[in-house]
Amino acid sequence: MKKYEAVIILNPNLSSKVDTFTKDFEKLLSSNSFNVVKYEDVGRRQLAYSINNHNKGHYLLFNIEGEPEKLIEIENNIKYNESIIRHLFISVKEHLGEDSQLLVDSKNRKTEAEEIESKKVEKEPEVIKPTNKVETEEVNSQEEAEEQEQEKEQEKSEEVKPEEDKDE
Amino acid sequence: MSKYNLPKKFDYKNVNILKQFITETGKIIPARVTGVSASNQRKITRYIKIARFLALIPYTDMHN
Repeated sequence: MKKYEAVIILNPNLSSKVDTFTKDFEKLLSSNSFNVVKYEDVGRRQLAYSINNHNKGHYLLFNIEGEPEKLIEIENNIKYNESIIRHLFISVKEHLGEDSQLLVDSKNRKTEAEEIESKKVEKEPEVIKPTNKVETEEVNSQEEAEEQEQEKEQEKSEEVKPEEDKDE
Repeated sequence: MSKYNLPKKFDYKNVNILKQFITETGKIIPARVTGVSASNQRKITRYIKIARFLALIPYTDMHN
């Protein structure tokens, strides 16, 4: 018995079919007398570079244990599956019981996104309140702001020119 | 104190720690610059290469 970690990157367009894929894959593992110790569905994640014109991938992590000879058969089975854009089997000394950092990061990202959305919902009702008078004031202030910006830009352009002269 | 955030156990899945040891262009920073112990540097390079294969870290900044 050797311990392995399997990472499988699925085609992001097939994200909805992940459950069926994992069931098939676990059947394949069990038919080759492999145990699944832990299974993590990390979810869709931005790839650092595009693989087969995919910019995102659905990451699955498996902690498995079984015989090395059987692993070759599993890999041969997976090789020509077109829904997998990349796979890796790596042998490890020990399986860590904890969640992997990838899963933790993806969970953190989801909670942050939810918090931002909830804040947006809270803010929206406040925007509707202002009366007509306030709106006219806002328009004036916007015009003033634009004028100030233009002045600043002019100042910047004036500042930049002397420096260019020095360089020459 | 080390200027790097080193874990108890290195892992190819811990992208934030590995990112400390690559340059902006994606190269692995050499041990003479990082000052990390030789055994740690070997682990870092090994796991950076695995993380690159899994598209967690870029090979270069020239990817389209």
